[in-house]
Amino acid sequence: MTTTMRSPGLWTLAWRRLCRDRVGMVSLWVVLFYFGVVLLALGGWLAPDWTREVGVNYAPPTWWMGAQESENAPVVPTTAPDNVAADLYGLQDPLASEFAAMHAAYPNEVGLPPEPPRMQTLPLGGDKWGHDVLTKLVKGSQTSLLVGFVAALVATALGTLFGAVAGYFGRWVDDAFNWLYGVFTAIPYLLLVFAIAAVLQQRGVVTIILILGLTGWTGVFRLVRAEYLKHKSREYVLAAGAIGASNMRRMFVHILPNVSHVILVQLSLNVVGFIKSEVILSFLGFGVPVDVVSWGSMLNEAQNELILGKWWQLAAADLAMAVLVTAFSMLTDALRDALDPKLKQ
Amino acid sequence: MINHMAKRLIILLGCMVSLAYAATPEKVLHLELSAAETGFDPVATSDLNTAAIEQQLFEALLTYDYLARPVRLIPRLAATMPVVTDQGKTWVFTLKKGVYFCPDPVFKGQLREATAQDVVYTIMRFMDPKNRSPYKFLVDGKIIGLDELGDEARKSGHFNYNASIAGLEVLDRYTLKIRLKTTDYNFSHAMAQPMYGIVAREVIESYAGDTASHPVGTGPYRLGRWIRSSLIELEKNPNFRHEVWDFGSGSDPKLGSDPKNNPDPADARVIAQMKGKTIPQIDRIDIQVIEESQSAWLSFGKGELDMIGLAGQFAPMALTGDRLKPALIQRGIRLDRLIDPSIAYYFINQQDPVLGGMSRERIALRRAIFMAQNDEEMIRVIHKGQAFRNAYPIPDGVEGSDPNYRSVLNYNPREANHLLDQMGYAKGPDGYRRLPDGKPLSVRYTTSLSSQDRELDEMMKKSLDRLSIHFESEKLKFPEIIKAERQCRVQMRLSGWIADYPDGDNFMQLWYGPHIHENNGSCYQDPVWDRLYEKTLTMPASLQRDTIYRQLARLLELNGVTKVSTSHIRNVLSQPWLLGYKAHPILPSVWSYLDIDDTQRPKP
Amino acid sequence: MIAYLIRRIWQMIPTLLGVVLLVFFLFNWVGGDPAYVLAGKMASPEDIANIRHQLGIDRPLWEQLWIFIRQIVSGDFGDSWSTHEPVSQIFRTRLGPSMTLLIPLMILETAVAVLMALLVSAFRGSLLDRSLMVASTMVMSISLLVYIIVGQYVFASVLGWFPVKGWSQQLSQNLTTYAVLPVLLGLLVSVAPSLRLYRTFILDEVGQDYVRTARAKGVSETRILWVHVLRNAGIPIVTNLLMGLPALLTGAFLLERFFAIPGIGREIILAVERSDFPIIKAATVYVAMATLVANLLGDMLYRVLDPRVNLD
Repeated sequence: MTTTMRSPGLWTLAWRRLCRDRVGMVSLWVVLFYFGVVLLALGGWLAPDWTREVGVNYAPPTWWMGAQESENAPVVPTTAPDNVAADLYGLQDPLASEFAAMHAAYPNEVGLPPEPPRMQTLPLGGDKWGHDVLTKLVKGSQTSLLVGFVAALVATALGTLFGAVAGYFGRWVDDAFNWLYGVFTAIPYLLLVFAIAAVLQQRGVVTIILILGLTGWTGVFRLVRAEYLKHKSREYVLAAGAIGASNMRRMFVHILPNVSHVILVQLSLNVVGFIKSEVILSFLGFGVPVDVVSWGSMLNEAQNELILGKWWQLAAADLAMAVLVTAFSMLTDALRDALDPKLKQ
Repeated sequence: MINHMAKRLIILLGCMVSLAYAATPEKVLHLELSAAETGFDPVATSDLNTAAIEQQLFEALLTYDYLARPVRLIPRLAATMPVVTDQGKTWVFTLKKGVYFCPDPVFKGQLREATAQDVVYTIMRFMDPKNRSPYKFLVDGKIIGLDELGDEARKSGHFNYNASIAGLEVLDRYTLKIRLKTTDYNFSHAMAQPMYGIVAREVIESYAGDTASHPVGTGPYRLGRWIRSSLIELEKNPNFRHEVWDFGSGSDPKLGSDPKNNPDPADARVIAQMKGKTIPQIDRIDIQVIEESQSAWLSFGKGELDMIGLAGQFAPMALTGDRLKPALIQRGIRLDRLIDPSIAYYFINQQDPVLGGMSRERIALRRAIFMAQNDEEMIRVIHKGQAFRNAYPIPDGVEGSDPNYRSVLNYNPREANHLLDQMGYAKGPDGYRRLPDGKPLSVRYTTSLSSQDRELDEMMKKSLDRLSIHFESEKLKFPEIIKAERQCRVQMRLSGWIADYPDGDNFMQLWYGPHIHENNGSCYQDPVWDRLYEKTLTMPASLQRDTIYRQLARLLELNGVTKVSTSHIRNVLSQPWLLGYKAHPILPSVWSYLDIDDTQRPKP
Repeated sequence: MIAYLIRRIWQMIPTLLGVVLLVFFLFNWVGGDPAYVLAGKMASPEDIANIRHQLGIDRPLWEQLWIFIRQIVSGDFGDSWSTHEPVSQIFRTRLGPSMTLLIPLMILETAVAVLMALLVSAFRGSLLDRSLMVASTMVMSISLLVYIIVGQYVFASVLGWFPVKGWSQQLSQNLTTYAVLPVLLGLLVSVAPSLRLYRTFILDEVGQDYVRTARAKGVSETRILWVHVLRNAGIPIVTNLLMGLPALLTGAFLLERFFAIPGIGREIILAVERSDFPIIKAATVYVAMATLVANLLGDMLYRVLDPRVNLD
């Protein structure tokens, strides 16, 4: 009896090669750590309520405190004069009876209720409202990574679909998609961003994802189209056609797996690119809405804080982003090397 | 022998003197603008940065006294203050003689004197539809015969500048009689605007289509080198008449408005530095456009800029509370603080289907929303202490302001919540309040795309969360906001208004019914309010007018139309070598009244 | 070859038309109405109508489109709606400062990236290779915005090595004083991606048979890299460079804004904020044409230099 040896497929081989790459493995662990944090934050176990103002305004980091005196004017608690006994100048208050009833029902409520005490320092410092930078960082990582990842999926999916159809069918279909590609790449990026944002009207994380996705498919398109052009006349495809496989099947069941390594690399490149683009979008005013925090919104706030001597939000967001982007980029390199051994010497 | 030596000594001395004379360096003032200029045709100007430059290039009939506070009109191109008769309907201006436009090829080498006819032409330009002037409103509907010319021009496509109309009568070469349709005591302020600086007809017609690049005025400076949106150089106007700096002391604001008995001690320094000097002292003004405040501040710190206006949020760079930091005081840098004649006010659209209307429930809802706004927190966190609470529609320094006015919309979220509970705005299952009929409720707050406005969103969300009302953000480009406001599509917004002229009417008109779709962004149309307001139109500034203004302000609060929130403090820092500077609340620039002491500049 | 060229030029026309139509309809649909902000504080609805009439935006859409197409052909897009400056003058005067910034940036970036790519290829797999690649990735991962904010603060203000902002009229002064810090900051961000790309190109070549042959013949490694590999890898490098040229037209707007450099990128942002359509129209058409031409040149150059490549 002969034992049949299955030769390891592309992915198994790639995985083995990746495991041998030390830098790649370190990067992989870092990225997985970030994704872990994101999952925990999504589930609400980490950083459940970043909107609570736990610290004083611009609370300095705990480990750094004492190095600089606070230069803000001392915090004066809000005191507001009563609304009673203001001169009506001979006019009638339409709500006079309501206010009278209110004061009768709550005679002891004078002035404003006391505010809860606030921390003087926070682990990584606080922002201008007193939010904890560490909590914002965790929640911001969730937003930025999700935005980057989903947008990259959108862009890659679009680019792959268009590229496959254009490359496979060729001729006028290819011309039509090339025309679309030409138009999208010819319009200045800024204008495209403004246009998409204006069309989508409402602001939100979805808008950002769509802006990034709809402007970022062109790179994937070009590569996937080139690959499909190469593959469509290869023997295995012709063979599949001979046995009666439909065009759809040939495109997505036969060719696509052979192209998937290119797509995967593009996907991870896009993730990195979009995380960075989100920062620029925030600067232009197309960032996340106010009840959402992202690295882009933190950096945008921080740009005016540095000159006032408040550096901690800038440093924290920047460091977190830099570490992830570096790790992800190195992981992409390692993936590419693992998937295409000719490149690595 | 001695004669020979004496001769040599004299020649040597002569050379030294002439060298010293020739070596007197040019006095240059280095300034920044925070936004790009648009162009230097005064009829097309609406932004303060361009107006600041035009103030030096052109001269209007009147201007404001440099030191007097509260601000006071004085003649500029006019020889004296106008003679006003007929209950504020007839104004006679007499021009100074010997006022010449700066040189320009159009004048073919001749000295060109400014005349009353030039004033007529300048005013007519504002009604020409082709000029689409943003400051047309100051003469629109006011001067007899002028509106008809404008209407004709709209039909024929051509404005007849040769027409003579009853409202603009030239009595002689230097005298002009202006007849208004109705009483308007504020007309003098219109004639003090830099946009109404006098221009010469042949210049405008010669450079038609490109008047923005050829400003030819009678002011102390003329345009030198100009790199659009980047660098503007002003140099002395060689034809400027001989003028001497001789302003008297203004009054000490703390002691009362009589300068003779209560002179402001700070003015003594300015007077000592400048009295008797010819205007202008500074030979050249170098203005750079710097949009990012960080860049401007760092530049000032290095001595590259002589003066800088510090926006509120950057105040902590230079100030601790309301004082300059010791390091800066040591370097001799001076701080001028003044109250901007402006207000920031919240409004809720009275025509909005969800929040508008005059039913008691809606009034209560709007007043509750206003009562949840914490102005002090906004001042502390967003304006870094460089603003103060002001609940009156007319700010300090403007005729008609009332420092003793007390608001009925003070911050009190507890009462606001009680009010909403009483009026039937119960909370739904999601924790947010609903309308009394059970339909969902949310407030849509409109702000611009800038990063400063993001802070406003954060504040409003906090305010509405205190009331458990759902917050919705609408972010639009600034031109879109204006359009939406004019079309009454903005539900709630924090708007602002800066005085065009220092009279309360400029502010009260913001809620006048007929100004809906113009700048009545609240879209408030209340016949009671309008009738009261119209009474003030024919009153000069007086106690009677103030009484009505107080009622108008109170009505706005009681009906939940508007909550006036803050007034701002303007901080201007100047280098020790800048002489004669006192910040003026209304004049967009005072550069011709300044001097520079180069010996105090650090050597490069 | 000629046939290919003609076919590509022929294809450019519908693309350009597509861009024109897209920009035109997008602007009219969502681009915003400039009349309101031009009208000033106290404008009545009649004033607004007058402004729209003066700007020509109250004419029927097809008429405006026709005017647009005529403007493209003649190259005259009229005057800016907010400043009345002729659009062609705007582009002419702002292009210089942008180029003064971006051409040295491009040259330096290419030179540094190519040299470093050759270096790491010569020592591929070694610690030098890996640490340089990791370092360059780390440098690339920080946003340009952060570099500008921190860089301006530290190098210009605190250390005083460079001016904080500014621009002069002389090219020499700009190149030696004002452009230095912005170019260096831009370099930090852009070298790394180029380095990674060029490294791939070079390693592609190094793995080819002719290199093995050359080695077998006894040619030195240095000569192989500099003479043989570089010449072949130079093809994708140069075409990549060419395709990046149109980006020069929109300029590095962040650098221009923070360093107060009167360049074209800054103008375009201002125009979009103010809904100044003439400038937006011109910018879109110029960038579109430049992109199409650059792509065409790039493809042609690729084909000319490397006959193996079949672009069809």
